[in-house]
Amino acid sequence: MQLEVDGRQIDIQVDPQMPLLWALRDVAGILGPKFGCGIAACGACTVLIDGAPVRSCVLPVGDVTGRVTTIEGLARDGALHRVQQAWLDEQVAQCGYCQAGQIMTAVALLEEIPDPTDDDIDKAMAGNLCRCGTYPRIRAAIKRAAGNATGA
Amino acid sequence: MTSRPIILAALVSLFAPALLTSASAQTSQQAEPVVDRERGLAEWEKVHAVFAHPRCANCHVEDEHPRWSGPHYGETRVHAFNVQRGDDGSGFGNAGLRCSTCHFETNSQVLHGPPGAENWHLAPVEMVWFGKTSAEICAQIKDPERNGDRSLREVATHVRDDALVAWGWDPGPGREPAPGSAEETYQAILAWEASGAPCP
Amino acid sequence: MSRLGTITRRTFLGLAAVAAGGIAVGYYYYRKPYPNPLEDDLAEGEVTFNPYLKIGSDETITVIAPRAEMGQGISTTLAAFVAEELDVTLDRVKVEHGPPSYAYYNAAMLEEGGGFNFWDNSFTAETVRGMMGVAGKMLGLQATGGSTAARDGFDRMRQAGAAARAMLVDAAAARLGVAATELETENGTIVHTASGRSVTYGSVATDAAKLAPPSEVRLREPAQWKLLGKPQPRVDMLDKVTGAPIFGIDVRQPDMLFATVRMSPVFGAKPVRSDISAATAMPGVLKIVPIESTYGSGFGVIAENTWAAFKAAEAIDVEWGEPAYPRTHDAIVSMIADAARSGDASAMRDDGDVDAAFADAPPERVIESEYSVPYLAHAPMEPMNCTARLKDGVLDVWAPNQMPVLVRWFCSDIAGVPGERTNVHTTSMGGAFGRRGELDYAIYATILAKETDGRPVQVTWTREEDMRRGVYRPASAGLFRARIGDDGLPVAVDMRIAAQNMMASLTSRLFPSLPAGGSDPSITDGSRNQPYTIPNYRVSEIQVPLTIPVSFWRSVGNSVNGFFHEAFMDEIAHAGGIDPVEMRRKLMADFPAAVAVVDKVAEMSGWGETLPEGKARGFAFTLSFGSWCGQVVQIADTPAGIKLEKMWIAVDVGTALDPGIIETQMTSGAVFGLSAAMGQELTFRDGMVEQSNFHDFDAMRMHQAPEFEVAVLENFHKMGGVGEVGTPPAAPALANAIFALTGKRIRSLPLSKEAAFA
Repeated sequence: MQLEVDGRQIDIQVDPQMPLLWALRDVAGILGPKFGCGIAACGACTVLIDGAPVRSCVLPVGDVTGRVTTIEGLARDGALHRVQQAWLDEQVAQCGYCQAGQIMTAVALLEEIPDPTDDDIDKAMAGNLCRCGTYPRIRAAIKRAAGNATGA
Repeated sequence: MTSRPIILAALVSLFAPALLTSASAQTSQQAEPVVDRERGLAEWEKVHAVFAHPRCANCHVEDEHPRWSGPHYGETRVHAFNVQRGDDGSGFGNAGLRCSTCHFETNSQVLHGPPGAENWHLAPVEMVWFGKTSAEICAQIKDPERNGDRSLREVATHVRDDALVAWGWDPGPGREPAPGSAEETYQAILAWEASGAPCP
Repeated sequence: MSRLGTITRRTFLGLAAVAAGGIAVGYYYYRKPYPNPLEDDLAEGEVTFNPYLKIGSDETITVIAPRAEMGQGISTTLAAFVAEELDVTLDRVKVEHGPPSYAYYNAAMLEEGGGFNFWDNSFTAETVRGMMGVAGKMLGLQATGGSTAARDGFDRMRQAGAAARAMLVDAAAARLGVAATELETENGTIVHTASGRSVTYGSVATDAAKLAPPSEVRLREPAQWKLLGKPQPRVDMLDKVTGAPIFGIDVRQPDMLFATVRMSPVFGAKPVRSDISAATAMPGVLKIVPIESTYGSGFGVIAENTWAAFKAAEAIDVEWGEPAYPRTHDAIVSMIADAARSGDASAMRDDGDVDAAFADAPPERVIESEYSVPYLAHAPMEPMNCTARLKDGVLDVWAPNQMPVLVRWFCSDIAGVPGERTNVHTTSMGGAFGRRGELDYAIYATILAKETDGRPVQVTWTREEDMRRGVYRPASAGLFRARIGDDGLPVAVDMRIAAQNMMASLTSRLFPSLPAGGSDPSITDGSRNQPYTIPNYRVSEIQVPLTIPVSFWRSVGNSVNGFFHEAFMDEIAHAGGIDPVEMRRKLMADFPAAVAVVDKVAEMSGWGETLPEGKARGFAFTLSFGSWCGQVVQIADTPAGIKLEKMWIAVDVGTALDPGIIETQMTSGAVFGLSAAMGQELTFRDGMVEQSNFHDFDAMRMHQAPEFEVAVLENFHKMGGVGEVGTPPAAPALANAIFALTGKRIRSLPLSKEAAFA
């Protein structure tokens, strides 16, 4: 089947019931999205499909119809996405394993709500688990990215 | 003084069903129902068993939070991850965490994986079943103001034909389905209506 | 060797002779205690000065940070040790983990294990700490754990940087024909100011590496530090915001197969009946093989991709044997509680005469409480995994692990190849919290690599397997009594704490032929060794003979006793009618570092000020891993439940090597402790753990996290640890806040059994 991932066309031959995550990781070699739980309970596998966040660990690859964006497709022309840059500036990550998913969700949040409140952040990000407890810095980075967007 | 609201409520519950029954009978252009309260309540009990079942009631909630229940979830509890109805009231969740982030058009086949059906979302806030009595649910379902402006026949066909409703009888691995089937519930609603749609 | 210990200790204490430009110390590597493992694997044009440093003629400077990076930021701080003395900025260096080698032993970890109080500088304590350090060197344990990595590397790695810089300067002096004393270094360049000439490190590295290492080096004093003591950007942050394949699960080798395991969820049991035929016939499945190990029995499934392996593992039809411990949760919990009440106890601290103090106590002046905490899983974000290849008599193991030397010992033995033909590649870890000090994942990968005809195989556990086939934080129960004096302060405390012996459990997995006897200091760690002065103070250990696998979990025994001890101290303060913070000031008066922490966190939080209706605060303090940590948490009663609003943390770490990383480790440790306190519990049914994934074993989420404010103090004369220190006081601070808010004293975790959280 054909998938568009990070702007590239990918042809993979797998069981259409295979979750998108494993098709990306084990077949297409795209390792940015991480395996954390396999039941959409931790958010480490989050990718965007046509801009909307999706837990790729439970979505059958045969059901994917839109353009897939992973953490590896965020940077453009060698420049980090402003959310990635905010993560770097705020030194968010500790172990880093959940952060690809955190960043993808934050990107989607900021697309819809360019200047989110704390409550908006709480509602958007609570599906992304972080066992290192980086939440205060994730919050700060989202606000920094929002500020960058509005030129503040 | 304190008894007045109770009396008012009692009056409403006595008369409202009759009023609503006649209204729905008019809109559905059916023959006047034969009022058979005993038979009607027996049919309603079949309907109520479905509506009050966790597969249905967990997403017909009064507040902002869908519920989780089942053998691996402890007591019925608020859906984790701060999942909410949505600031726009749509029932489809909030920016960054829509229902469709995890719930797709089919059930995950993994134990504890997210169930799925077309159009996965919370029922409108006025259609509350979770934590409500049989009488309260009955009154709601007969109230066009609170049932999506449907006749009971339209309620019945909605129950029979809607893909998200149908999920209740096919909820995926590890979940107890709602009792009966879509067709049986459809028939029960029609039979209940034909018996005068009495409420307990 | 004991002299080496003396020198390092003097360096800690700052008592060595101070020379111009720094502190002169003996350069440990002058004695070449172990071979430099980097010598075997140098790139073209690259030379090595010691086990911590390589420099290439292309100016590439590679620093080896031989402790596992699992999120605690240690690779950044360790690299800064070398970079500081080498006089280069961190962005100039490449940081690698390095191979397993005896050269990277962790002496600090074993020093801490002696069972002496951290503040005890008596002759015996010093001697035993020194001996344990020597033992660490003998064993060569390249372990990451016990919040020891920075303390252990502080001297050796700075010396490594300083020695190399001296050698580079000497080589430059020869090249330029000037005296070494006329040269200065500046971020990788050696400058002769008088003539304006300069050479780079890379251009003289080959010459420098041929020189004899100096017998003595000068280390910068803290006032001269350019990197240390200041927040440094993490060396791996860019990788982590771009999804780079740095974790164990991201290892990809040519022709690699994928696998998973299905091990007995009844601990210690074997399959009594099994049928693998349906699973073997599933698409993408290559082979299903039995696994027998000291960690358990079960099956390995080798497949073309991880998902196929998962599906087939689920399809194995198997019935497991009986447990050697009670089948029900209630029976397990009762065993531990009964032991706390009436089991044989060994006093681990026994000040004064506790029995006499209670014998004549008026009943109304005595309080008695029972406490308990559950078994807990580590649940790091990255599930257990490991990749192995056994080809042409060489074993390669790509393991996200905290114990590379042990991984090499065990895996080479299983594969039947010599240790020197076993390469252990330590990857970054998606969290560990103690879980990756175990070896099961590496053992299983090696067993499966024997089945694949030389093809590499990556074994990944499902989250369910990770949760239900873990090694757990032991459950524990405590019986606590106190006699309150006329002034409201405790006259006597008697603490009986019961749990499984963790060291015995570990020994049964790693060295099953060894006898496992003796005390387990971790049972009382956090109650036995707190800086309180109470005239009659007894803390006793009671061992519970259960065989559920237990192990190190962030802050280990302190995670249990921090709660017991500090929640009980709150009870004592309440019974004595004294403010809990004021009571600490009085009882900790002999320990100025502790009082300073208490004062600081009280000041930050405005402790004592009147709060609006529906809000309350709790306080707790734990000394663990050599650092003194006080926490205040403020909570609010909301319609959705109790909300954590803000936590203030003050911590004295002695020397703050990177205040930014210390701050994040404090909040991280606190979130870890709060997560467990609020809702985590493992329960048993039919001898198996019931919980399986994050829907029934969750942790704190974004909307539940309080705001944090952290103060880092440097009053104490010894450097403390960082990675685990924030965890122990978090649970009692929250429980004490709930008491202040509701009047309900919750003595059993998780708190969610008796309180609802928003």
